[in-house]
Amino acid sequence: MEAYVGEYASGKSEVAVNRALMLSRAGRRVTLVDLDIVEPCYTLRPIKKELTAAGIQVLAWETRDTVGLGETGNVLRAENRWALKRPGDIILDIGYGVEGSRTLNLLEGASEDPDLKVVAVINTSRPMTGSVREIVDYVRQLGRVDMLLNNTHLGDETTAETVQEGARFVAGAAESLGVPVLATAAVEEVAAVIGFEDCVGNPVWPIKRYMPHTLW
Amino acid sequence: MPEKPIKGEKRYFMTGNEVVAYAALAAGADIMYGYPITPQNEIMHYWTRLAPRYGKDFLQTEDELSAGFTTVGGVLAGKKSFTATAGPGNTLMQEPVSMAEAMRLPIVVVIQQRGGPSTATVIYSQQEVTMTTIGGNGEGFRIVYSTATHQELFDYTIKAFNAAWKYRFPTFVLGDGYQAKMRESLTMYDPEEKGIPIVPSEPYVGKPGVPGVDRPPGQYRNTYNVEEELYEVVENLARDFNAIAPEVAEYESLEAGRSDLVVVSHGVISRAVKEAVSELREAGASVGYFRPVTLRPLAEKELRDAANKAKAMLLVESANGQMARLIKDAAYGCKAEMIPLYKPGMGITAEEVAAKIRSILG
Amino acid sequence: MSLQLAMPKSWRVDTKPHKFCPGCGHGLVLKALGQAIDELGIQDRTVYGCDIGCSLLSWDFFNFDSIQTHHGRTTPVITGLKRANPNLIGIAYMGDGGGYAIGSQHLVNAASRNEKITVILVNNTQYGMTGGQMAPTTMPGQKTETSPYGRDPEKTGYPTQGPEMVAAVTREGAYVARGTVSNPRQLRGFIKKALENQIQGRGFSFVEVLSTCPTNWRTNAEETWKFVEKEMTRYFKVGEIKVPEPRHEEGK
Repeated sequence: MEAYVGEYASGKSEVAVNRALMLSRAGRRVTLVDLDIVEPCYTLRPIKKELTAAGIQVLAWETRDTVGLGETGNVLRAENRWALKRPGDIILDIGYGVEGSRTLNLLEGASEDPDLKVVAVINTSRPMTGSVREIVDYVRQLGRVDMLLNNTHLGDETTAETVQEGARFVAGAAESLGVPVLATAAVEEVAAVIGFEDCVGNPVWPIKRYMPHTLW
Repeated sequence: MPEKPIKGEKRYFMTGNEVVAYAALAAGADIMYGYPITPQNEIMHYWTRLAPRYGKDFLQTEDELSAGFTTVGGVLAGKKSFTATAGPGNTLMQEPVSMAEAMRLPIVVVIQQRGGPSTATVIYSQQEVTMTTIGGNGEGFRIVYSTATHQELFDYTIKAFNAAWKYRFPTFVLGDGYQAKMRESLTMYDPEEKGIPIVPSEPYVGKPGVPGVDRPPGQYRNTYNVEEELYEVVENLARDFNAIAPEVAEYESLEAGRSDLVVVSHGVISRAVKEAVSELREAGASVGYFRPVTLRPLAEKELRDAANKAKAMLLVESANGQMARLIKDAAYGCKAEMIPLYKPGMGITAEEVAAKIRSILG
Repeated sequence: MSLQLAMPKSWRVDTKPHKFCPGCGHGLVLKALGQAIDELGIQDRTVYGCDIGCSLLSWDFFNFDSIQTHHGRTTPVITGLKRANPNLIGIAYMGDGGGYAIGSQHLVNAASRNEKITVILVNNTQYGMTGGQMAPTTMPGQKTETSPYGRDPEKTGYPTQGPEMVAAVTREGAYVARGTVSNPRQLRGFIKKALENQIQGRGFSFVEVLSTCPTNWRTNAEETWKFVEKEMTRYFKVGEIKVPEPRHEEGK
């Protein structure tokens, strides 16, 4: 059970989608939950069908079920509130917001669930999390965070160096925060260059980019 | 003194709204006034997070009428003031903008266009072109930059503050919901380190000294008694605006003077147009493009030149002919036939543009 | 489940379940409104206007004629309608942003003119629709997307006292109350009295409702009720503020 939190546009949804697919391909039963309630765009809604076809249970809005998307589209689906009660692996994609992981309060049973891990996704190419100090400050105000994940990239311009530099910053921040690093995520081409472990010894998750197709 | 928000040059991966907030900081903006409306909210979200760190200010007003008029007030006090809005908010903003136009007040307004008419969609559109360029009662004496990439959002937001304070006309950065929310990388920099001077601001009221004793009082109005008085004011505005137009106007073009067909578009749509035109040129088609960066004032001379040399112009926009009205007006009497590709409130892909070009060239 | 049975007659069954978030107060307010209308038997002549914001999700909520207007403009739309056809019962339904910020001039002037309409305003201390920005009703210290360090009353003022303001500018004959979703019986009574006031043609009627927004407050069920009952009532006093007749006893 993993909840992905982090800064606006840090790649939470991308990592959550890839993680769900990774687990599903390993034969596990996976539910992916859209808990983005600030942003009506770049959410799972547009790729819900594709992910469902890949065998994942997706709890997200259908565009036709919403009214005035963006004016009132940031509403929480009733089903999502009970997501943690579902069997199998649960991947939560949590939107940004001034109180970060407090969004977990909206889920029944989140506070007492021993299996839940809150993972902060960090892209050090984002101006607010560009250095160790900034990452530490940012993660501290998110509330509960159990692990960090390095998702440093520059879109199409990402190189292995970009990702490795991020890995070093994230590792530094994790040390100050006293939490482990779950992994480094990188697009397949870049991941192949880096290998199975990044420069600080954390596992590399090769990912595909789905979210660029999900604008609105 | 708080340190500068951006030092040196660095590549970042960002959303368009964030870029605007950082660019406003880099441009030396002092205060933002705003009211929540999608798709510009994150400009406020990021400005409110960043502003206190650099000694800057923010006021959330009761509506966009107030956001516009408080921006006017900020400028009168000599502060670099800006606001951001969209759609119905832009409609309300037209009253304060027309005051700024009448009184030469350098307010900066960022528009992230959404669908219309009415509340419509928050997603994307290019349907605020008419309102942004010539809205309000008056003559549209404004500078309007229509951006296409995050790099341009950064560059032109900085430029907007400079142009506003240099020329003293209200200045707009015209983006859209796609640009607002889209993620891509760009280089952020400190403009002064890059040799871009920051035009200083200056108070209209509250200057040192006793008015009437040490200095003449600063008194400004926008109301006149007789037609002749107003006529003189508007003539002066028109003369000044026309005088700066050649210096302010910006455009981008590819083989526009040497192609049978020239595709005209602005903003984010010009990305699709460039892609389609480049692809078809490689295949040997006689096609070029013309992209006005400033929608107001337009690069009229260059546009007319292209419109006189081409057989046809294809006008592509996510509106029902709002950019086309500006283009046709500027190109009046030119020989090119004007062909529309309008998709109000919808995105337009390179494939659609390419298909249309092929059908025209046969 | 008794949900079906509890549905007011004036609700539109085919648009249920409604689209509000779990734990949202709108459903409770609209239930109280539906019950009041059922009891008064005015479904046939009620015209309902809703604003922009989460309130717009109620545009097809009831089986009566409804208009989804512009942000802040529901009060003048319903005013115009009532002026043109005084036989109709006009209800303007809005949030705190729509009523106290962008539509505040309309609220003040409709109240001052003693327009014979009913305004129901839902107070959940922030802008829900656009992702949780500060509203006029945001409480000191409360964090929102545009008050990320907490609302500082020295800079942005204290929460709007809406009903108190409306009471101050209305003439005799107006009805003004503040209800809460944590006391639905009392709320239904307030809304019913507001509508009766309009039916009798006495004057403006206004009910603010303290409501919940767990989604943007990021609160669980327990914290949500604590927020509405303990936190909000520190700044917003529940009760009737202006009554044209002896005080309503229901729910005491």
